[in-house]
Amino acid sequence: MSHLLAARIRTGLLWAAAVAVVVIYGFPFVYLVLTSFKPAVDAIAVPPTVLPQRFSLENYVAALNRPGVTASFVNSVSTATIATLLSMALAVPAAWGITRYRTRAGRVLMAGSLLVRMAPAVAIGIPLVTILGAVGLTDTPTGLALAQTTVALPLSIWLLASFFEGVPREIEEAALVDGCDRFTALLRVILPVVSGGVAVTAIFAFLASWNEFLFALLLTSIRAQTTPIAIANFQSQFGLDWGPMTALATLYSLPAVVLTLLLQRRIVAGLSLGAVKG
Amino acid sequence: MSPTAQAAPPRTAPSPPPGAGRRRTRRGLSDAGYAALLTAPAAVVLLALVGWPLVKLAADSLYTGSGLGDGRSFAGLDNYVTALTDPGIRAAAGRTVAYTVVVVAAELLLGLAVALLFHRLGPKARILQTLFLYPLMIAPVVAGLLWRFLMIDNVGIVNELLTRVGVLGDPGDVSWLSDPDLVLFSVALPDIWLTTSFMTLVLYAGLQAIPPDLYEAARLDGARGLRLLVSVTLPLLRPVIAVALIIRGVDAARAFDVILIQTDGGPQSASETLSLTIYKTMVGYNDPGTAAATSTLFMIVMMVVAMVAVLTIWRPGKES
Repeated sequence: MSHLLAARIRTGLLWAAAVAVVVIYGFPFVYLVLTSFKPAVDAIAVPPTVLPQRFSLENYVAALNRPGVTASFVNSVSTATIATLLSMALAVPAAWGITRYRTRAGRVLMAGSLLVRMAPAVAIGIPLVTILGAVGLTDTPTGLALAQTTVALPLSIWLLASFFEGVPREIEEAALVDGCDRFTALLRVILPVVSGGVAVTAIFAFLASWNEFLFALLLTSIRAQTTPIAIANFQSQFGLDWGPMTALATLYSLPAVVLTLLLQRRIVAGLSLGAVKG
Repeated sequence: MSPTAQAAPPRTAPSPPPGAGRRRTRRGLSDAGYAALLTAPAAVVLLALVGWPLVKLAADSLYTGSGLGDGRSFAGLDNYVTALTDPGIRAAAGRTVAYTVVVVAAELLLGLAVALLFHRLGPKARILQTLFLYPLMIAPVVAGLLWRFLMIDNVGIVNELLTRVGVLGDPGDVSWLSDPDLVLFSVALPDIWLTTSFMTLVLYAGLQAIPPDLYEAARLDGARGLRLLVSVTLPLLRPVIAVALIIRGVDAARAFDVILIQTDGGPQSASETLSLTIYKTMVGYNDPGTAAATSTLFMIVMMVVAMVAVLTIWRPGKES
């Protein structure tokens, strides 16, 4: 009996520990959101309080009225959309070619994609400034999206390849027997089978671009400025304007949180997929 | 998103049926030709957007001057000599190593502890696991600013809470981001916060893959608690730990936005890692030659270290 009690207590303690870990871990972000709803003065009050004493949307109004902030959201959305579409359009055939046919060239592309990850972004970004400038893409969402494709594309190839792994070959063969050509079979038959994996990959590609900072810093100035740069400029331009900054950071994090919420289970699968198979 | 997922190489396929490589369709394209056609666009884009810039970088590293045509001249390996001898760059390289070690070690310990906890609690703790993953989706620039906000001397909630629980006598006692002895550790906190989730996720998946009967066998042999962890769990997790360490090590060594946004490398360059130094050399001092030479060296070292890590820690195929 006492043995059972001891086991129960131990399990209870483990649960308490797990809850405590999640609460402590989630606290910084919760605090950011809570602070964004305080009046600007309270956001930097001494001593700080965790919960808002007064509720206010003042920070949101101030943040969105800053020149360039709404434009930066438009830029972020269009840049991330271009980068995602481009990455997916290239990665879907590439990943299928690699997993289905297993040629030497495919293995080289896989390894190359991994090597790209080792290159410091600054090493790619600096020459890209001149290269994109030469083709007239400086300070444009397209130019920035091209640069961010260097991050999103290798990631998409690896993720998609691990999703395609699970597709039985018979599915393609059946489609070919039915008279599809190979490319139609890929688009009409194979892709729907892994639609979940494609969605997760697209989300990762989108977030890779949405959250990207260094290329945006190097390659945009005014016209194509994305939200991370707008957030960063907040502090240097206007001193430490914490209240509106927390509001903008909250708004900017919203798509990531919503996308994660929508596809959380599949995202967990995508994140851990293969990482253990090594 | 900086803390990104990474998948492992595909398993080796069952060998194709005889003659598969020569099978032809109506359009007369062999399988190998079709595969090449599928992979070529991605390969071309990567070559244009990564390969070409890196070649240009290597070429630029041999020239001095501002790169705008004024006074640009061939300098041979002079920039490499500068990169290797400049005290600022050498110090930054040292800080990059220290930063990477701190971040990765902290993440591994925390991530392993949390993964073991979740593993012990099982699928019932799924909601907690999911909540724990959220920081992964947050932009590094937001994480950096957020932690900077948390750690401001007087207004910051960290010092306030530490004072309330009695660790600090006064909220002004610790200046996380302006104390040169402390700052490299402080700027690492948001990075650790952001990506411990990734460690946990990968290690948790690794723990799930360990067959339970192995634990049973070890228990029958009398192994308990810590002994079980050290002699069963950790050796079996080794490949997973290796992959996670390599991925996160590479990312931590490249850290840029998190640090730039918190301290801009200061005070007195005390938190300036190599990526920041290269950026400043390029943009601030307008010295693309040295910046190019430093990043070329940086990249080569990263690749060599990663390769050595893959071959020694991971040892694919040697143990399993």
